[in-house]
Amino acid sequence: MASELRVDTLKDSSGNNSVGMAYVAGGSAKAWINFNGTGTIASRDSFSVSSISDNGTGSTTLTFSNAFNSADYVLNYTTGYGASANFTGTAPTTTTALIQGYRTDTGASQDRTYNLVALHGDLA
Amino acid sequence: MAGKIIADTLETGAGADISTSYVVNGSAKAWINYNGQGTIAVRDSLNHSSLTDNGTGNHDTSFSASFNNANYSVATNNVAEINHARGAYGVGVAIAGSGTAILMTTSAIRLYSNYNASSTSNGGGVDHNLNLLNFMGDLA
Repeated sequence: MASELRVDTLKDSSGNNSVGMAYVAGGSAKAWINFNGTGTIASRDSFSVSSISDNGTGSTTLTFSNAFNSADYVLNYTTGYGASANFTGTAPTTTTALIQGYRTDTGASQDRTYNLVALHGDLA
Repeated sequence: MAGKIIADTLETGAGADISTSYVVNGSAKAWINYNGQGTIAVRDSLNHSSLTDNGTGNHDTSFSASFNNANYSVATNNVAEINHARGAYGVGVAIAGSGTAILMTTSAIRLYSNYNASSTSNGGGVDHNLNLLNFMGDLA
């Protein structure tokens, strides 16, 4: 049976480490993934990411298991040193985000071995 | 006395709710804010046990409580340096030429901070002041 707790604050058993529920609900990452973007792209581990699609060099579409309530979430995209990554010009949606790895010296698209993505926002 | 609550959903007094799955899986299990310049120093952190300076831009950090595998996710920062020829720089996972992480285990990770290369400048390593990292995954 599903259960639900209604609380304003969480604390540990000693009464320390207090956190308001608004921070727990709003501040928890709603999805994250660690994937290899070279060759046949493959997720190493993830949470609430249902699929990744290889659109071509450096370009990957993430699809979320549960939709956000708006497309205005925060996406952090980290790669190994030597390149950068960003949203592309394609606007994110509540269920997908298109991300792009590229070389900063030439601007050329590049597949990255380490693609580490975390998303924060509110779910629908 | 230690307490343990089992629930599927947490709800605030204002009615906003969240599945405990997101709390358990989505909470950062470690984070760190450190100054990589001079004598490297941690400003504040969670679940961090040590920070080692291996040279310019090359730093190891270890976790007090280990992850259950080495495939956790890391969110890092880029910093825009105003009026600097090479502009933005950032910190990321240190990788070898083969593309594999030099050190990314359940208990430690090697980071590398560097200038983003541009068409006129290389992306050499740099000790920078603001290194901000979040780590997400499951603990052992």
